[in-house]
Amino acid sequence: MGSKLNLEGIMLFEQPFTRVPYENYRKVFRTSQKNVERELGGVQSASNELVACASTGNLSPEDAIKSIDTMMGKVENLKRKLSDLHETAGKPTQDVMRERLHHLAAVESLQNTNQPEFSRWADTRLDRWLVDWCLRTGKENSARSIAKAKGIETLVDIELFSDISRIENALARHSCAEALAWCSENKTALRKIKSTLEFDLRMQEYIELSRARKTMDAIAYSKKYLISWQDTHLAQIRQLSALLAFEPNTTCGPYKRLYDLSRWKTLAKSFRLEIYNLNTLPTEPLLHLSLYAGLIALKLPACFDHSTKNVDCPVCDGESGTGSQPLGLGKLAGEVPYSHHANSTIVCRISGKIMDEDNMPMAFPDGHVYSREALEDMAARNGGIVTCPRTGTSIPFRELKKVFIS
Amino acid sequence: MDPLLKELTKLERLTTANGKGLSFGHSLDSLLQSLQEAKDDLLAGNCTEERLKQLSQLVESKKKEIDERQKEVYSVLSRLGKALDKKFPIPLPSYSDLFSSTLSVTALERTIALHLLRTGQFDVAEIFLKESRIKISDDLRNQFVDLHQILKALRNQDISPALRWTRSHQSFLQSRNSPLEFYLHRSQYIRLLLSSHPPDPLTAISYANENLRPFYKEHEQEFRRLLACVAYLPLPKLQNSMYRDLALPTLHFDLEPLFAKEYCASLGMSRQVPLRVVGDIGGGGALARIEKGRKVMGDRKGEWTQLDELPIEIPLSSDNRYHSIFACLVSKEQSTELNPPMMMSCGHVISKDSLQKLNKSGGRSKCPYCPVETAVGSALRIHL
Repeated sequence: MGSKLNLEGIMLFEQPFTRVPYENYRKVFRTSQKNVERELGGVQSASNELVACASTGNLSPEDAIKSIDTMMGKVENLKRKLSDLHETAGKPTQDVMRERLHHLAAVESLQNTNQPEFSRWADTRLDRWLVDWCLRTGKENSARSIAKAKGIETLVDIELFSDISRIENALARHSCAEALAWCSENKTALRKIKSTLEFDLRMQEYIELSRARKTMDAIAYSKKYLISWQDTHLAQIRQLSALLAFEPNTTCGPYKRLYDLSRWKTLAKSFRLEIYNLNTLPTEPLLHLSLYAGLIALKLPACFDHSTKNVDCPVCDGESGTGSQPLGLGKLAGEVPYSHHANSTIVCRISGKIMDEDNMPMAFPDGHVYSREALEDMAARNGGIVTCPRTGTSIPFRELKKVFIS
Repeated sequence: MDPLLKELTKLERLTTANGKGLSFGHSLDSLLQSLQEAKDDLLAGNCTEERLKQLSQLVESKKKEIDERQKEVYSVLSRLGKALDKKFPIPLPSYSDLFSSTLSVTALERTIALHLLRTGQFDVAEIFLKESRIKISDDLRNQFVDLHQILKALRNQDISPALRWTRSHQSFLQSRNSPLEFYLHRSQYIRLLLSSHPPDPLTAISYANENLRPFYKEHEQEFRRLLACVAYLPLPKLQNSMYRDLALPTLHFDLEPLFAKEYCASLGMSRQVPLRVVGDIGGGGALARIEKGRKVMGDRKGEWTQLDELPIEIPLSSDNRYHSIFACLVSKEQSTELNPPMMMSCGHVISKDSLQKLNKSGGRSKCPYCPVETAVGSALRIHL
């Protein structure tokens, strides 16, 4: 059995898989660009200065040699930095990208879901989803151990998420520094998506100064960091200026809200959204999205009726024996709509096979229906007698009635 | 993936230290060399303005060279970005607060823990259980340890632990018409048959006599084939005979999944790994289908999640059909407990509501598919 591979459906999940290393590499490139500008710019201005000094005639050979030594130092430094950067960040990131693209190319080369290669690929995909889920729910040890046991470290984003938790922990300690550093690393990208995260962080630092009643520092801070946002955030900047007139224990609504400590939690949340956004990561774990769609496709009223449960159906929940409340996927299925079907599908309760013209449904006199194949098989082993597994009724095979379900 | 891999190769070639063409290393080395030469000239007392100007120009040109290089890397990088956009044009949807209630989180954690145990990842499961604070009873845990020990033995051609298990679950296996025990003996019999050199089928035959014969009634055909194949030994001859399927390695390898399936069924668990099944359906087209449907039908954010039934149909492969669905072709409705499928005397099935609507005077309904009329009272409710 099995069915044709739906590549479009598979690839829908893989945008972040390729995007994360790509964004990482862009960051590496920006760092290298910064280094080039700094060091070579320095060399350039030093050599220009030498020429300028020489033309006015007040350049001693000692100074010139010293200056050239500095330039050489800068070039050496740049060379070392660039090669370090390539070895420790650039090359590994390229390798991750290559490995991920190969991983996707492997599934593209398949046709059918019943190929063993697909089964292995899907196993790895589920492991990737589990790692993603563990990382997002703060189970870093589990994530690492799955990745290590399966040898899929390059296919999951453990580093990205440990970065996220490092910055979030800092925000939980009421420190904006780490998040601000991240903002400046990703300045252009954040500007492109019109993110106001940086302003929100600056605003919080300002509020903390005001809370500590360091009025002069707050004003200096405002001059240095807030004013540059005046084109887009003037009203907020005004409000913040007025904040200095209010004590932290004020009861005045808008200013009380500014002093509210829950703003830190909001900041952490919006930071997470922005970093997901930059890496095209969905806000929900990938596992949730696939389970959501998979459960919708499978969920039927029959899954929740004791007499029609099927132990093989993932929605029916294998542990039905332990109580009436579903404990596993059946519980999750409660949150999604039922599947929709315009046509009949009759599944044999004995063999699990789908009935059709070649394997007709046959009914016992009490209306219980099974597939012809399964009943023939049963009759062959029991001297032509068939027994209904649900009611225990026994009759000769020839007394069964053909059912036509068009 | 090919266009993406091509762009990536270009990027790699452009950035490797010893790559072809001019690399950073080259430009910087030659700059260093020029600086050294200038320094040497200066030390030799040759410190003219002209010489320094020359140096300054050289610095200029090297900087330009490196800037060009950076530009080139940048343009390959943005081409790669565009290729990525083209290959993955649709971002994943976001549904807020999916499965976020405490009960759902616990349910999912439990499912994952069982998944890890079931797939034999005991060390990982240990760490996961600690981090999620989920409890799985020792009893259930040991069941999985037991399962994986038996599977490991099977892999090592040792069927005795598996046989011990089948003997202690005989009535369960019989109620499922499971061929497991017979297949275990079959595998052992074939091994005995093929392991003797020169062929000495006597041990195998006495094994069959003792272990396979009790299954003669259920597996008559196969039993005969197993004993008839002895006439086609040794192995090369068997492989070219009508019994070549008995020489295939799958006859032994397939025991593992079959055993796992029966073992899980005895624990009330499905034959396939549930997370894989649901994940494969969701990640194999279902989500894409839902998203497309939402777009076409103009769903406002998240409305569909509130619905009782999805307005579109998601195709399922036949091995993912676990329940019968009866949709009446007259009313186009799915059957329910109150509106069950009814079989008329001609054998055609329609829903109870439709049957009553077709009711003519005299309590008889004409079948919509054939000329036969059925008394409404004599239609039979069927159980699928």
